[in-house]
Amino acid sequence: MEPTLEPLLFADRPHWADVIPQAQYEDGDPVAPIFYTEEYKDATDYFRGIVKIGEQSQRVLELTESIIRQNPAHYTAWQYRYETLLAINAPLDVELRLMDELAIKFMKTYQVWHHRQLLVVLTRKPQAELAFITRALSGEDQKNYHTWSYRQWLLSYFNDEEELWSGELDFVDEMLTRDVRNNSAWHHRFFVVWASGVREGEEDRERIVRRELIYVKQNISFAPNNFAAWNYLRGMLTHLKMPFSTVIDFVKLYTVPFDPSRTDIVDLENPPPSKQAHLPCVHAIEFLADIHEREGGQSGIEQAVELWRQLVKEDTMRKP
Amino acid sequence: MEDRLDDLPALFKDSHSAHCKRCLMGLPSSSTDLDASRLVVIFYCINALDLLGLLSEKTTKADREAWRDWIWRRHTFGVYGSGFKPSSYMSIEHPSESYKGYDTPHLIMTYTALLSLAVLRDDFSKLDRKGLINFLRSCQKEDGSFSTIPNGGETDLRTLYCAFVISMMLDDWSGIDIPRAISFIKKCRTHEGGYGQFPLCEAHGGTTYIAVASLYLVPNELKAIPEIMSALEREETIRWLIQNQEPSGGFRGRTGKEADACYCFWCGAALQILGAKDLVNVTGLARFLGRCQFKYGGFSKAPGEHAGTYKLHPTVLLVPFISYG
Repeated sequence: MEPTLEPLLFADRPHWADVIPQAQYEDGDPVAPIFYTEEYKDATDYFRGIVKIGEQSQRVLELTESIIRQNPAHYTAWQYRYETLLAINAPLDVELRLMDELAIKFMKTYQVWHHRQLLVVLTRKPQAELAFITRALSGEDQKNYHTWSYRQWLLSYFNDEEELWSGELDFVDEMLTRDVRNNSAWHHRFFVVWASGVREGEEDRERIVRRELIYVKQNISFAPNNFAAWNYLRGMLTHLKMPFSTVIDFVKLYTVPFDPSRTDIVDLENPPPSKQAHLPCVHAIEFLADIHEREGGQSGIEQAVELWRQLVKEDTMRKP
Repeated sequence: MEDRLDDLPALFKDSHSAHCKRCLMGLPSSSTDLDASRLVVIFYCINALDLLGLLSEKTTKADREAWRDWIWRRHTFGVYGSGFKPSSYMSIEHPSESYKGYDTPHLIMTYTALLSLAVLRDDFSKLDRKGLINFLRSCQKEDGSFSTIPNGGETDLRTLYCAFVISMMLDDWSGIDIPRAISFIKKCRTHEGGYGQFPLCEAHGGTTYIAVASLYLVPNELKAIPEIMSALEREETIRWLIQNQEPSGGFRGRTGKEADACYCFWCGAALQILGAKDLVNVTGLARFLGRCQFKYGGFSKAPGEHAGTYKLHPTVLLVPFISYG
């Protein structure tokens, strides 16, 4: 428990005695009124009082923090807090440290991240932010949408700072080592490698294509029934305008039941599924059907139709 | 496989309507985080009652008039144009004067206010249409997106959708720079075929619905580019949406996540707009939702979890989808 040096209510705090609290005005019967706690009612009464006189001071930070802790979606308290920080020239690094705590506590609240974004645009210190995000995503919620979005915004906003990008692939690797099915991490990889432009040292695109093909195929071979990895492979080929048939030999290995007579050979181009894999893999059957459909002609279409039929049996959610 | 709908779990219509009415009477202090978005809760409840076909049966004319009046008292005007405020949470006096800097209308709340009033069969004679168009203009940003409030707030695809729906309802698109807005939507498209909440972000069921529905709402003659989504893109989007229906019958919102009742609406509705509703396993979907019902009203995100109004609304929206499937 935090030490409570101050009285709970602003009404009881001596250095707030000069502010006239303003009650919420509700004319007529309210619809869906919230039965506020005494503490929230008190803090917001003082907040309306402060906004009315337009005061921007250190104590406003104390007041808005209290409101935010009780209702992190109070966007007006956030807005007023931000303007007050600027008006009194408050140290933004201190504010960011407070935000470290609040971001973890209210990870799913839009305003927490929006406020942080506004601060970093001013401090222009993105590197420390990357470290914070890495910490935040190593907790329970490794797929938190706001946190990942914030990382993508940060990198693209400070796009020119080469060193900022240098650790991204290692970061993705680390996240995928923890959970190879984490689609947020796969998405981030796509963003870093393909969607955010070509960075220094990555100009040799053929090398990058080879590297990524090996990476995704290997990950599929470890865990074949992984939508995220298959979607990465499909997305990458589409992005590069490479035909799906480029990877037909690899895909085929996953469309048939496990072959016990198979001898283990290391083949980086076409790594086979492991012995424990659940085969055939529906993603591979779908992929192969798409290859045949795109190849067209009577035989292509017939083969595709045959595979779609097989898919109905393998994938119980699919309708004929 | 024949879809059999006759042995599905019953929809607890009475419990759900009672739940909505309870929320309209008042919310517990644990709902304090809804203080700055009360209009959304009100819309969810009123609209769910209407979709259940119980609005006129379970509520009185006086109730409905009181709700309408309350919503109209959130209507406000000022330098950024006219719109609706989320609640009285910042009000200290009778709202007859124009708003100041911290009490402006809010785009998402304006959208829910207009829809609520439509459900309550309002004639909109009090609506300041010109002011509303100005408000939309004040919220649109350089990159084509919209902010929640004209002088700040976050911007993303949600707010863009609200602006589009408002324009559609007004049958007046002059408040939006459409090419810019469409270019923002396109930037949210991902390698998976879905759309993220913001450019370069992960594909998400909610924002994919929003992107697809927004593109659908723009009248053809106003689309600067005739083909907003290519045939291949459309196919990829359908594929991704369908892939999100997991073996439990429910839809997930993102690749690899668990199924959740609300994504059954977002993904299902997006598929319907794309003309691919036939690909949904409706029986599986209905069974999943049946298991998410809470017997005292409301839906949880997954079977056996805590129920809430935020899940009830999108779920009830699916009722016609299933019944007439």
